[in-house]
Amino acid sequence: MITVNINGKDIKLEKAVTVLEAARSAGIKIPTLCYHEQLEKYGGCRLCLVEVEKMPRLQTACTLISADGMVIRTETEQLAEVRRGILEFLLINHPLDCPYCDKAGECELQDLVEKYGTAKGRYMEKKRTVPESLEDPVIVRNMGRCIACTRCVRMCEGVQGASAIAVINRGGHSHIEPFSGGRYDCEYCGNCVSVCPVGAIMSRLHRHSYRPWQVKENIETVCPYCGVGCTVILQVRDDVIKRVVPRIGSVVNNGMLCSRGRFGYEFVGNRERLTSPLIKKNGVFEEATWEEAISLVANRLKEARDGYGGAAVAGIASPRCTNEDNFIFQKFMRVVLGTNNIDSSARTGYAGAQSFIENISGQGATANIIAGLSNSDVVLVTGGDPTTVNPILGLQIRSCAGKGGNILTVGHVRGLRHFNPAELRPALFTETLLLEGILHSLKNTKELPGSNPKFEAKIRELNISPEDIIKTCGVSEEDFNGFLKKLSGAANPAIVIGKELIQSIGSSYKLFLVLAINYLINGRVYLLSERANEQGLIDMGCTPDSLPGCRPVAYAEFRRRYETAWKTTIPDKPGLSIFEMMDSAGSGALKAMYIMGENPLFNLPESHASEAALKNLDFLVVQDIFLTETGKLADVVLPSLGWSEKEGTFTNMERRIQRLRKAVYRDGMEDWKILSEVAKNMGVKFNYADAEEIFNEISRVSPLHRDLTYNEIEKGNALYPYKGEPLRGVMEDIVSHKGDRLDAGDKLYLGLERPLFHSGTLSTKASALLHIYPEAVATISPSTAEKFSLKPGDKVRVTTGAGSLSLPVAVDDAVHGSLVMITNNFEGKGAFALIKYIADPVTKAPVIEGIEVHLEKDGTV
Amino acid sequence: MEKVLLKNIDNPDSADIGEYRKAGGYRSLPKALELEPKAIIEEVKKAGLRGRGGAGFPVAMKWTFASSDPKFPKYLLCNADEGEPGTFKDRPILEKNPHLLIEGMIISGYTLKAEYGYIYLRGEYPEAKHILDKAIAQAYENGFLGEKIAGKDVRFHLAVHQGAGAYICGEETALIESLEGDRGQPRIKPPFPVNVGAFSMPTVVNNVETLSNLPYIIEIGGEAYSKIGSPDCPGPKLYCVSGHIEKPGVYELPMGTILKDIIYTHCGGIKGGGKLKAVIPGGISTPVLPPDKLDCPMDFVNMPKHGSMLGSGAVIVMDESVCLVKVCYRALKFFEHESCGKCTPCREGTGWLRSILGRIEDGSGVDGDIELLLSVSGNIMGKTFCPLGDGAASVVQNFIKHFRPEFEDHIKNAGCSLKN
Ligand SMILES: Cc1cc2nc3c(=O)[nH]c(=O)nc-3n(C[C@H](O)[C@H](O)[C@H](O)COP(=O)(O)O)c2cc1C
Ligand code: SF4
Ligand code: SF4
Ligand code: SF4
Ligand code: SF4
Ligand code: FES
Repeated sequence: MITVNINGKDIKLEKAVTVLEAARSAGIKIPTLCYHEQLEKYGGCRLCLVEVEKMPRLQTACTLISADGMVIRTETEQLAEVRRGILEFLLINHPLDCPYCDKAGECELQDLVEKYGTAKGRYMEKKRTVPESLEDPVIVRNMGRCIACTRCVRMCEGVQGASAIAVINRGGHSHIEPFSGGRYDCEYCGNCVSVCPVGAIMSRLHRHSYRPWQVKENIETVCPYCGVGCTVILQVRDDVIKRVVPRIGSVVNNGMLCSRGRFGYEFVGNRERLTSPLIKKNGVFEEATWEEAISLVANRLKEARDGYGGAAVAGIASPRCTNEDNFIFQKFMRVVLGTNNIDSSARTGYAGAQSFIENISGQGATANIIAGLSNSDVVLVTGGDPTTVNPILGLQIRSCAGKGGNILTVGHVRGLRHFNPAELRPALFTETLLLEGILHSLKNTKELPGSNPKFEAKIRELNISPEDIIKTCGVSEEDFNGFLKKLSGAANPAIVIGKELIQSIGSSYKLFLVLAINYLINGRVYLLSERANEQGLIDMGCTPDSLPGCRPVAYAEFRRRYETAWKTTIPDKPGLSIFEMMDSAGSGALKAMYIMGENPLFNLPESHASEAALKNLDFLVVQDIFLTETGKLADVVLPSLGWSEKEGTFTNMERRIQRLRKAVYRDGMEDWKILSEVAKNMGVKFNYADAEEIFNEISRVSPLHRDLTYNEIEKGNALYPYKGEPLRGVMEDIVSHKGDRLDAGDKLYLGLERPLFHSGTLSTKASALLHIYPEAVATISPSTAEKFSLKPGDKVRVTTGAGSLSLPVAVDDAVHGSLVMITNNFEGKGAFALIKYIADPVTKAPVIEGIEVHLEKDGTV
Repeated sequence: MEKVLLKNIDNPDSADIGEYRKAGGYRSLPKALELEPKAIIEEVKKAGLRGRGGAGFPVAMKWTFASSDPKFPKYLLCNADEGEPGTFKDRPILEKNPHLLIEGMIISGYTLKAEYGYIYLRGEYPEAKHILDKAIAQAYENGFLGEKIAGKDVRFHLAVHQGAGAYICGEETALIESLEGDRGQPRIKPPFPVNVGAFSMPTVVNNVETLSNLPYIIEIGGEAYSKIGSPDCPGPKLYCVSGHIEKPGVYELPMGTILKDIIYTHCGGIKGGGKLKAVIPGGISTPVLPPDKLDCPMDFVNMPKHGSMLGSGAVIVMDESVCLVKVCYRALKFFEHESCGKCTPCREGTGWLRSILGRIEDGSGVDGDIELLLSVSGNIMGKTFCPLGDGAASVVQNFIKHFRPEFEDHIKNAGCSLKN
């Protein structure tokens, strides 16, 4: 225990914190500028100088560590003078264009001058000026206003780990520039913008469109994009989101955001939003009233159900919709339409992988705290780049490296390459062999712990001959051994699994190997999730084989619980998967479909087949916020309210349930509300006043969500397994599929580019993100570029056995020499059009590996 | 006094290892390797050696701190940035006597159990770079550097790192930042380099001249060394004298030689028999002295008592033809240019002072400007992150303190009367 005395007040401290922290803990205010709680100490602005007894010089409170018996004064004549002096220095070259500066009202310098400064100016010379820079589409720089506090640089380098900006020049000419000079071309997280105390770097999105004091509401909600589920605060004026900012202290993202979360909100107000129900008449959409549209949907669904039975109807739920929407969706399908034919795009990877993992490691095996990654001593990354798929999770891995942890990667992970990773880059199609090699060698150094006999039996059965692994995989023995040493020595390891692994050849077998490795090192598994509520929709029962709370539909005891609650009978057989739905629609067995907030035409392989299948239906209703490619095939399109326009909850990849809040008003109905209206028209009463009532039903009927309330969630207590019962002891046989190893030859193969700046097609409706990443591209390695005489910007035709696309070329040295990476975010240019549906027989995830592509220079488009 | 630091420099081949050895070089090294590191520190302590880089910090104390830190590897950095205006005392060692420095560094490295040394060399000394590289190569060839030095289980590697012309990189923590490849800006202290220095490891930074004293201390012993020059602050000292002086140059004299004697006895007095106006005794950052204040012993302990500092021992002599407002203006122009920009008072204040001085000098000064200068320099003094900013403020304060009428005259007569 340390005691310091500040302004005559004794302050007891648990540990030796800085004098500034000590003062703040006692409610004593010391002015600061370069200090920021998220950042490393700097001590540059000198505003926080204080008097300390027995120290001849004034000391900066933000850097001085308190010591027992220290006597400090923070409010004296001398210090008042010092503060006036420092602020005067800061102002002599400051443009004082406050009336025009967007920062005014929340500018730390302005506030400090108002409180501690002087009104008189003594500076007679010309001010230094730096012109405003509008070279970047997202970040405006006014370096004349920069006070050289370096908060932005310390953020970018020390916390974001992007090192994209630096102080250039010296002395009074110091200011901040991106290394690229003009455009930032960085990760565009905007975290530098959050910490700039003045108007030197600001978001361009709201430039000159409001004043901070005009923001009447700060609504705390969850980011709409990925499965991390970052807390975001929406600042709203007149029902328009003006700005999205993070909150320091929020559990998931603690004051940080990625480009999508911060700059991707504009889709909400996009002019292309659907405004009215549409009914297709003679092949063209006509606007219709809600009554007309809903009664048409109800009648047509009734016809299909009554005519062909529940098996002839199917529904696709949405990882972008709330738990409440999805719960009502599956209830509608099961209760009103009498079918288990419910699935979602989670089937393309996340859902199957998670079932596979949970079957072996138990339910909730992937429900691990994201922030915990930073405290791991080893993080093994497989299946792609977490820093682009789940950027805030990626930051935790970078932070782990920063704290001295070891990052191990299978394959080259661009976003981690500056974090000293131990990297094994297996030759094309040899990843399985490499994982086998790792497992085999680990088995030699580690005992099987005995906790999971069934799994161990399977691990023992493995017959691996590791001799030529190193040679075949093309990794060096030294690298391999170094990698293994770190892995086997790990005390608190974590394994990250991305979609590239799940969508590869023999993915279930690879998952098996990774889980076995994880079992031997006793690690935690993180399954990357591309959509905000992918986990939630699974937990809500939007899968063909399980009911809310992840209870298998095939078990009568589980069914009975819901049958009683809903006074209905639920079919005992699991329904069709999303892929099977397409097949059945194509063959004519399926007659009608209800698609909510999903675009299967874009998000499933073989777009042409899906298109034919959906056209073959008797009736298709699509409910969405935009008219998608899928929507265009519908008989009826129903516009729904979107993110920020409604209440509800999301469940993130940690399985944390968080509140989504309404921030702007828009005419229309929530997805659950529309479904309830249709149900009512079909004679079933779904009487919910609001989302909370639906949630209350969820917590009543789902054993997993038992007793959970909005109140509880708001307190941050909604962490898996909540107060409920996760499912235990239902273990199926462990089956996995290894697949054949392809011979790479010197052909080119397709890969999916997962850009940091996009998430599904939703982000392409947000103009800032479009400015950053405007179009789909084919990214190739420098060697491929040379071979085909292609340069960035050239058009290239990419052809596979399934289809062909013409795309501009991008060249990137992080891309494997045999791969052509295609962006899969832009409608009309979707990579799935190039992919035939071949699935892993166990996880059912499509295989996006080993698809040969032909490149041809294409000047015509 | 026998020459220690400048020994043999009249020999045109003094930088060659053969010549150095002929003159008795590399004899202290084997002797030192026979001693326990602790015993060497003890000798240095007895010698009373203080750092010659400007601050005069006791060397034995710094070394004890670094030695007692349990972390390894440790680093020894030689500060050869020599950026203080007026200073050119390290240059003859670097160019004429590089092996003296190298021998000193090997002994120091052994004492500190540091196996890696760097010489951080001023970017504007390309010739020295050449000479040092060659000398280091010779030392490797002769088994004084590398593994198994002098057949013993001692290793020490040495390399030269060239600065890029920033004065601030002479400040030890900025030097470390720069060495690591970062922007040259001082770091927060504590932790001090002796605990968390280069590459986050315990690090000793010493000046060229400081380290070059080591062979001699080993040769004659700390006790005998402490008898040279000032008792409080002993040893030989290099004074570099420039300006209006008959015989400018680098002089090796006992520490504590009286400033007046340096000017009039050793350097032959004011050039052309002119009249002395002012002396800056220790490099531009040290307080200027008027002609009646030169009876001061030039060492780290006594100079502060006489209103200035020893600094780098760079004596700048100015006769009556010099406009002191202009000197002050030029000094501030230097500080403005060299301010690293990390802290507010120095970043903004040096430029402001320069502009006020500039207008006084060019005849557009106004009443109140002297008060403004004092107020602005007062707002800098004691509030900066590192001593550079304080140095700038002190220059203004001391020029005004001793030569205020000259400033007043400039304002009153709208310019410098010396110009006509
Ligand atoms: C602005 C500034 C510039 C400095 N420049 C030099 C320099 O050029 N050479 C030098 O030896 N010390 C310089 N120093 C002093 C160093 O910080 C450090 O005290 C010295 O290298 C320690 O060595 P010593 O103990 O042997 O003197 C400078 C200090 C400051 C504040
Ligand atoms: S937006 Fe992010 S990556 Fe870009 S400069 Fe700012 S902090 Fe760095
Ligand atoms: S841009 Fe802003 S955060 Fe960055 S140094 Fe300048 S004032 Fe500080
Ligand atoms: S996209 Fe994901 S990581 Fe980025 S802010 Fe949103 S939830 Fe967080
Ligand atoms: S006083 Fe401040 S701005 Fe000046 S050189 Fe030192 S740290 Fe840099
Ligand atoms: S806040 Fe302490 S120096 Fe800037």
